[in-house]
Amino acid sequence: MLLERIDSLPTDEIGGFRVRPGKPLPFGVSHIPNGLNFSIFTSAGTTCTLVLFRHGEDQPFAELPFPENYRIGDVFCMVVFGLDDEELEYGFRIDGPSDPAAGHRFDATQVLMDPYARLIAGRDTWGEEPNWQRPYPYRARVSFDDFDWEGERPLEIPPEDLVIYEAHVRAFTQSPTAEAKYPGTYAALVEKIPYLKDLGINAIELMPIFEFDEFENSRLHPDTGERLYNFWGYSTVGFFAPKAGFAATGRFGMQVDEFKQLVKSFHKAGIEVILDVVFNHTAEGNERGPTLSFKGLDNKTYYMLTPEGYYFNFSGTGNTLNCNNPIVRGLVLDCLRYWASEYHIDGFRFDLATILGRDPWGAPLSNPPLLESLAFDPILSSCKLIAEAWDAGGLYQVGTFPAFGRWGEWNGKYRDCLRRYLKGDANMVGQMAQRVQGSPDLYRPSGRSPATSVNFITCHDGFTLADLVSYNEKHNEANGEGNRDGGDDNYSWNCGAEGWTDDPGIQQLRLRQIMNAFAILLTSRGTPMLLMGDEFGRSQHGNNNAYCLDSPISWVDWTLLHSNSLLHQFVRALVHFRHAHPSLRVNLFEGPGSALLPCCSFHGPSPWNPDWSSESRQLAWMMTSDLDTDRSHVDIVYVASNMAHYATWFELPVPPHGYHWQLCFNTGDTEQPYRESPASFDQSGLLVGERSVVIFQAIPSG
Amino acid sequence: MNLSSSTTQGWQVIHVDGQVDSKTVTALRDYIDAELKEGLPVALDLTSVPFMSSAGLRTLLTLHRRTQEMGVDLALVGIASDIADTMKVTGFYDYFTIHPDLASLPLA
Repeated sequence: MLLERIDSLPTDEIGGFRVRPGKPLPFGVSHIPNGLNFSIFTSAGTTCTLVLFRHGEDQPFAELPFPENYRIGDVFCMVVFGLDDEELEYGFRIDGPSDPAAGHRFDATQVLMDPYARLIAGRDTWGEEPNWQRPYPYRARVSFDDFDWEGERPLEIPPEDLVIYEAHVRAFTQSPTAEAKYPGTYAALVEKIPYLKDLGINAIELMPIFEFDEFENSRLHPDTGERLYNFWGYSTVGFFAPKAGFAATGRFGMQVDEFKQLVKSFHKAGIEVILDVVFNHTAEGNERGPTLSFKGLDNKTYYMLTPEGYYFNFSGTGNTLNCNNPIVRGLVLDCLRYWASEYHIDGFRFDLATILGRDPWGAPLSNPPLLESLAFDPILSSCKLIAEAWDAGGLYQVGTFPAFGRWGEWNGKYRDCLRRYLKGDANMVGQMAQRVQGSPDLYRPSGRSPATSVNFITCHDGFTLADLVSYNEKHNEANGEGNRDGGDDNYSWNCGAEGWTDDPGIQQLRLRQIMNAFAILLTSRGTPMLLMGDEFGRSQHGNNNAYCLDSPISWVDWTLLHSNSLLHQFVRALVHFRHAHPSLRVNLFEGPGSALLPCCSFHGPSPWNPDWSSESRQLAWMMTSDLDTDRSHVDIVYVASNMAHYATWFELPVPPHGYHWQLCFNTGDTEQPYRESPASFDQSGLLVGERSVVIFQAIPSG
Repeated sequence: MNLSSSTTQGWQVIHVDGQVDSKTVTALRDYIDAELKEGLPVALDLTSVPFMSSAGLRTLLTLHRRTQEMGVDLALVGIASDIADTMKVTGFYDYFTIHPDLASLPLA
């Protein structure tokens, strides 16, 4: 039998509560027999008090100062017995020097949130206006972390086989047209799993779901009076807690279970869950921002400060987390390990990731310890790590991000190149050839592979795909900043009219351009990523920065699924085509190809003869890979793209003996852009229409 | 919260009256510990439970694991639709056999 442990009994009494000295690890709160262990770090703080609240009450029911013998090193730790773990909310008061010039901003009047809080109350229902006078707005609670996974585990799909779908929990499900039982929630997202599975994607990348406050920097639109929110959520309040306001059960404090149930449900459908994580800054802003947690716990440790004690602003949002300080590094690592082990998360996409490679004074490190720790961590070893390889401080590292053989990247150069090729810019075919191979120009010199490259043409940041082919300029008036926000380098083309038009010729060209984009994206090597709703022509009416809009501009309009069903069916067929063709997913730059054909070859209107000249707007590529070890079966895909404004005859390469071509996709065929069951194609070539893409597969004859 | 028990159709029925949360859940657990008889299937009558907190739902799941170990069936009876909805989105629902009322319990 198990003996009763000595440490399951109290040794001291503080303020009527039975306590004993705690354990410094793990940080935060943890269950021990009969009690809760609280542990909090501060290097420059002098005293610490544990502040206990009943759920929802403004005033604490107890304040327990940590005796000096409850401190080990820089960590205060205490076990408190007899607390109601479900009803409890807790925080800390830390006293210490108030000397901003020296980097210290201690203020014992503030109750500080535990940075390791795994359950946070205070913003339980999305959009419910908070009581601004409340002294302790985001309140740490105790999570149970006893979810029953029933043997389910992360999927570990090879990165080259992924098709990622980027989505925002609320934007994807909030519209009445989504017909969700609990709009805007994790539960609603689960309702969409059958749709996503049918589309064929096998990873969903969720925009931030760590607890954030949609009311941070909230304001009213100066002209319309409409409330503007921190809708996207790229501003973290708590790194260990799922956003309560995204949970149908947030008002019952059950967001932890609801989000775990989401992951379990996605995994059952064969879909990985990747989280967009924001470690570059926090919701505490600069010296004028609120003191919520880090600022009052150990400001100088957690933030990058100027010599005068002000906040460096490499993130463009007020402060910069000091990621390569060993303490912060530990926090980031603990956080990701927690999400990987406790939530079975399959991967992480790091917002403005180059900040994670800056030293405490902001200079880029050649060997950033945080990135290295993450790359070699035993618990994260099968998680995808994907960098947004740039930041707001001007550091652009696509191709040079310190990858340690492990990190993937959002390939911003793929996006820009495909956009420019698509709209018919000159001088693009050479670069496009690099991009469809998985960008060897960027990744081969450092020994990386095609799946390093997350290929995309659109993401949350910028135009949707339908808007990319409908607007030359951004139209961000709804954001209330006089259309000054958002990027101007969109490489978009409106096809002849700005915005909505009833011109059928323009409408048809736009549809074709969208299909062209998908056709190239899904036949490129690397890991393709789609933006939610693009597969049925979602529009934000020309807004390329809808970060603050909780409105139908941001919300996915599901009626488009029916009105643009041909596009949706086309994309669906393409995704399934990609899964069926290993030659599109080869994860080597120098793959063996087949016995007769190279792994990847380029062609022009005449086979084996690409036209690399500056005025060329035609490029074809053929991808191959062996299907078995004796090299007797080979997978072959041939793609011809014509981005010129005139039709062009493409002569097909001769397929290997015993194989013949089948035409599977033709974006120039308005009636039948994809073929469910393609027939043999027995001509020697094909007239590829103006601004069109065709895709062939070679299959064994007879 | 009031607790009582009876036998119906070969099931030992535990009737719960009132909210099940961290304040009352210990009483429920102790009652079940004291009353649960080996070999008989268990029905938890929740007709008069307006709300179950996270702690309450967790107790249902631990009870489920225990009855599984004892090799007897566990059924939930008369669960309010709000509670059922919470159970569905948090993953608790699928573990249980659910009946609308005591009359619909099968003969054990």
